[in-house]
Amino acid sequence: MYPWTDRSGRFSALKSAVFAGLFLPLLWLIWRWRTGDLGPLPIDEATLESGRWTVRMIVITLAITPLQRIFGWGRLALVRRQVGLAAMGYALLHLSLYVADQKFDLGRVASEIALRLYLTIGFAAVFGLVVLGVTSTNAAVRYLGRWWKPLHRVAYAIAGLGILHFFMQSKIDATQAALMMGFFILVMLYRVPNAARLRSVWTLAGIAIMAAFLTAGLEATWYGAATGIKPLAVLQANLLFPGVIRPAWVVLGTGLAVALLWFGQRTWAAQKRQLQAAA
Amino acid sequence: MNILRRRGWELPERLVTPEHVFLNRRAFLAAGTGIAALAVAGRARAETDPSASLYPASVNPAFKDAGRDVTPFEINSTYNNYYEFNTSKRIYEQAEALPIRPWSVVIDGEVEKPVTIAIDDLLKRMTLEERVYRHRCVEAWSMVVPWTGFALSEFVSLAKPLASAKFVRFETFNLPDVAAGQKPGLFSSMPWPYVEGVTIAEAGNELPFMVTGAYGKPLPKSMGAPLRLHLPWKYGFKSIKGIVRVSFTSERPIGFWEQLQASEYGFWANVNPEVAHPRWSQASERVLGTDEQIPTQLFNGYGEYVAALYAGMEKEPLYM
Ligand code: HEM
Repeated sequence: MYPWTDRSGRFSALKSAVFAGLFLPLLWLIWRWRTGDLGPLPIDEATLESGRWTVRMIVITLAITPLQRIFGWGRLALVRRQVGLAAMGYALLHLSLYVADQKFDLGRVASEIALRLYLTIGFAAVFGLVVLGVTSTNAAVRYLGRWWKPLHRVAYAIAGLGILHFFMQSKIDATQAALMMGFFILVMLYRVPNAARLRSVWTLAGIAIMAAFLTAGLEATWYGAATGIKPLAVLQANLLFPGVIRPAWVVLGTGLAVALLWFGQRTWAAQKRQLQAAA
Repeated sequence: MNILRRRGWELPERLVTPEHVFLNRRAFLAAGTGIAALAVAGRARAETDPSASLYPASVNPAFKDAGRDVTPFEINSTYNNYYEFNTSKRIYEQAEALPIRPWSVVIDGEVEKPVTIAIDDLLKRMTLEERVYRHRCVEAWSMVVPWTGFALSEFVSLAKPLASAKFVRFETFNLPDVAAGQKPGLFSSMPWPYVEGVTIAEAGNELPFMVTGAYGKPLPKSMGAPLRLHLPWKYGFKSIKGIVRVSFTSERPIGFWEQLQASEYGFWANVNPEVAHPRWSQASERVLGTDEQIPTQLFNGYGEYVAALYAGMEKEPLYM
């Protein structure tokens, strides 16, 4: 099975397009580097950018199964592995850039990873991604048999560690980390109900609202615990209009869009059935 | 006792070429090449800034050379921490929105007579000079800047503090309508305005510099126009930008970053390679505009000027 073929060996447009798409952030990064757009500390900026893409890839990977269950898009299963591997790739790039930024002084890299908790956490996440990566080949899946699934649930913990690392490295502004946390909460909540329950506007909308509240609450908790910003002020910031669109609102909007889309899909399918029955 | 006799950074002459950087930059601006936005900003500044004729000022010979190449203007004016605008390093476009005339500075607190003084009147009363200083950011990068301005000590004499004044507290603008970072949202809940402070003894030292220009011109907005402080032996966040108020106080001011993250950013914040930031080492620094990573020096190499200020204060958290 190549990155562009499905299980039966036929060319898959979906899989090829996704495969190509996974390289776009890398190409964009290289382009920014070549044009000097990364600024006076290009390795530093590239480290941040690759870290952000690692988290995004992990969250996208974890979104695939719920999307499949909600919309019945069975073919998405075809791309989950490669998005997951891209997460590992960007994580390794991120780590390599960090090593390059430390002038390849591996002793110093090791001592920094041991000394700074946020790096220790990041390292644990990279380690986990590599373990999942090497156990994702067809041979490994067959070999692990019924253990494969429980092992790959570790992905949830990796996502959690990656997002925690994201929060901890931020210099006060944890907006992007909070947003990624919100999406992570959303895709995890979709896993709670069974498929029949999940496929209802009310469940989907309810999950969106719950995810938004959790995002707002946990974001405020972070600022309260780790910074001198008052948690209440962070919560209130969600209600300041017009203002910057806050993570909880983005999560709510995304969740409600999923609910609406599902509703649209169902209505459309029902009408098609009626038309067919009438014909 | 003279343990700090070595002038930490007055390194070999071979490294010192500020003039060529000036010339390069002028050529760059004149030729109209490079980053267009910058050239435009530069021109606009030269045309509209009423203080333009005061620059370049004569160089203070004691600070004509920082032991390292001057960082190119194009880097210095486009890579800035200025959270009033946004939390990235790229604030120079947004900073252009800041109106810097009319601009006045309030002097109040424990002084003989509180006054408000317009920036151009202040410039007339102070002696402008140029000093090349090393700047060390708490984020472990550094640059070298040819500032123009006047000694903070001269400003303190103008303000005439009372004996009860123990600290000098500086305050930045709070303009949510122009500064995106102060607009309603999470960041409007931050403790604006930005505040920083020094002790009266530190303010009397010869190093603290009230900056109004750089690279022989009025200061770009991204670098803190029209008035900022530079304390070259302290981490950069102490060097407050866009100053609108200077107060003399009997109580120690609590800085913006100290309010936000007291475990990481303190009042003293003197550069020390041996005291790590909780999240990263301060042992070395990346020099902007080069590929170099060099060892960081105690007090950023300015120990001979300032170490005596801290004699007998070992119990204070002097380095964070
Ligand atoms: C040994 C492993 C890792 C190391 C040494 C490492 C190192 C770093 C460092 C030093 C920074 C801050 C860079 C700076 O402030 O200039 C950073 C930021 C970041 N890292 Fe990692 N990291 C590791 C693993 C990970 C993993 C596994 C993820 C994702 C799951 C990740 C995601 C991020 C993100 C999102 C940021 C912040 C980007 C931003 O601020 O926009 N890192 N990392």
